[in-house]
Amino acid sequence: MKRTTSQVLAFVAVLAVSAAACGDSSDDSAATTVAAPATAATTAQSPPASDDPGAELRAWGWASSETEDSTLTGLLGEYSSISGDSVTFEPQPEYDTALQAALSAGDPPDFFYVDSFKLPDLAAAGALAPIPDGVITDPGDIYPSLQSAFTFDGTWYCPPKDFSTLGLVYDVDALAEAGIEPPTTMEELAVAAAALTTPDRKGLVFGPELARAGVFMLGNGGYIVNDDVSAMTLDSDANRAALQYLADMFQAGNASTPSAIEAGWAGEALGQGKAAMVIEGNWIVGFLADNFPDRNWDVVEMPAGTEGRGTFAFTVCYGVGAEHESDAAWDAVDYLTGPEGAAKWTDAFNVMPARQSLRDGWLSGHEKLEPFLNGAEYAHAWQFTPGFGDVVGEFNTQFEQLIAGDITVDQLIASVTEAGESVLG
Amino acid sequence: MPILLTLWVSFRDWTGIGSPFDSEFTGIDNYRELLVDPGIRRKDFAISIRNTFYYVIIVVPAQTVLAMFLAFLVNQRFLRGRGAFRTLLYFPSVTSSIAITLIWLVLFFPSGIVNRVLPIDTINWFDEPNGVIHNVAGVFGVDSAPSWARQEVFELSMWEWLSGPSVAMFAIMLLAIWTTSGTMMLIFLGGLQNINPEIEEAAAVDGASWWKRFRYVVVPLLRPQVYLTVTLGVIGTWQVFDQVYAANQGGPQKTTLTPAFLVYSQAFKNSKAGLAAATATILFVIILTFTWIQRRVTGRSDEAA
Repeated sequence: MKRTTSQVLAFVAVLAVSAAACGDSSDDSAATTVAAPATAATTAQSPPASDDPGAELRAWGWASSETEDSTLTGLLGEYSSISGDSVTFEPQPEYDTALQAALSAGDPPDFFYVDSFKLPDLAAAGALAPIPDGVITDPGDIYPSLQSAFTFDGTWYCPPKDFSTLGLVYDVDALAEAGIEPPTTMEELAVAAAALTTPDRKGLVFGPELARAGVFMLGNGGYIVNDDVSAMTLDSDANRAALQYLADMFQAGNASTPSAIEAGWAGEALGQGKAAMVIEGNWIVGFLADNFPDRNWDVVEMPAGTEGRGTFAFTVCYGVGAEHESDAAWDAVDYLTGPEGAAKWTDAFNVMPARQSLRDGWLSGHEKLEPFLNGAEYAHAWQFTPGFGDVVGEFNTQFEQLIAGDITVDQLIASVTEAGESVLG
Repeated sequence: MPILLTLWVSFRDWTGIGSPFDSEFTGIDNYRELLVDPGIRRKDFAISIRNTFYYVIIVVPAQTVLAMFLAFLVNQRFLRGRGAFRTLLYFPSVTSSIAITLIWLVLFFPSGIVNRVLPIDTINWFDEPNGVIHNVAGVFGVDSAPSWARQEVFELSMWEWLSGPSVAMFAIMLLAIWTTSGTMMLIFLGGLQNINPEIEEAAAVDGASWWKRFRYVVVPLLRPQVYLTVTLGVIGTWQVFDQVYAANQGGPQKTTLTPAFLVYSQAFKNSKAGLAAATATILFVIILTFTWIQRRVTGRSDEAA
């Protein structure tokens, strides 16, 4: 009884915070579960021979494309027929808010998507169950960089379902017209961007944020913080050179942000022909195919800086909630991320398998995307520690000012370092 | 109850994940981070207060005056199709704020209709972080901080405090004025219909022009409605969230960051629900203070009238 009261209080506390944030807006998605229409696959499966009715599991994820939803529901249907457990996938429109409310109320779904960016927050709060020994098939097969993205304080929490990296995606016809080879170094990139810029088109387009600008810092051997996110490392010559390089390119008019050329994001700019080269991840592939099927594009790995190539890995795992941890949930997660489930999942669209053994099989259907997959070898996980998001926000704000010519590289480094030190303590 | 819980959470280090009862009591640390300790949290809070302050002092008077004027117009008995006008003017108020913000974004595109109609250089409205007051000062040749304005007060230099709303925020203000004035118009209409038409007729017989009738007869009689709309306006504008969320998420360069948006991003994106609760509590105090000041001001002019 005590427990129920405290759950209700916790839930009210979350509502109080969201109510303060939303005023009296009608955005009450935090409290509502939008259930996916139960498809024949999830409900009509007859359990296998045994009389065990099987567990009923709920899985949460964010709403994305219909293809993604239907692929996952289909996969879960196959899992039901093997295991006898039924799993319902419930996509959430405001995912972070919905998940936080469910966790605070003590009623989280059995397993759910966890972005590597969010993992430290969830793990630190004890919301995730650590992986018990032996429930995940062949963990050594998973790329070490992705496994470490879901390891917090030495504990591995959840197996990645797939991942994406950044590459240089370009308009093949534009480069051919200008007689330019895809750039392989940052110097060549600057030259190419200048040559490809016309009154109607920018040579290079990417969003003004750390998740893009950071690859240039990584290429020069620098980065904003050290590996365990305990100290700022922005004040270095490597970063200074990378940021100055970008500032010069923007101020010369050869590079642009998507919003400055009326595009929602860089992928749209490339599709519309307003950008010759963009820095984006493999999610751009499906978008271009759906919206701009005529655009003749290709991709190369990020051009190398003085210390080699740099890219970020964005990855999502299936976390099992500590609250309702069950063998059935781990069994379902292992199926989805295991060799069989992950192969089916990543074959269906353009995310990459987190298992090295699936590399060749996946490439045989996605030959063109090899540069993205190669990025896994040297990718830096897009991940910090709880509360560091403010510093990333400050970097993004200062970076906008830098490329607009309002501040210098040294000013950016000084104020972002100051912000970072106030958070890291 | 929710207010008390928010207050309680604001003294704890709750991450927003898991039960708040497992979090630790941290005293006034959250408030210190927002108000005392120099750093990014205090700076973001200062920026949000500046942005919203300009938002409030411009939007509230503008929407009140516009609403009163519209109510006066659609209340004219000689106006044909009054019902249709009322519906049209009320329409933006009953439309989803997110949907209407998206329409606004399209209107204010560089190639959008606003730029085509206005006889000025193309402006990328929602992507323009420059302050409006800075822009005006720039016209008079003041384009960087004069020495007196370089002093830093509460994380921002005087020059930054005096920037005025950014062009992006200004576009959101126009949106807010347009959408809310419909609702406020209804309140004024209710007030107008309580005014005995004979009073206005008497003024007309005495030879008062429509402007004089509006200014000296109708406006003084609408004082209770003015009090109500301004109070609602102050509370609503300090809590501005939907438009910011849909338009820019606080950008460009944090110039549309508002305390309410900060509460959201700290609680749900940055796992700092304790800090978010502290921000919400301070916002609550600010709103109380503003409402109190406003009550004093309107109260005094009541005696004068």
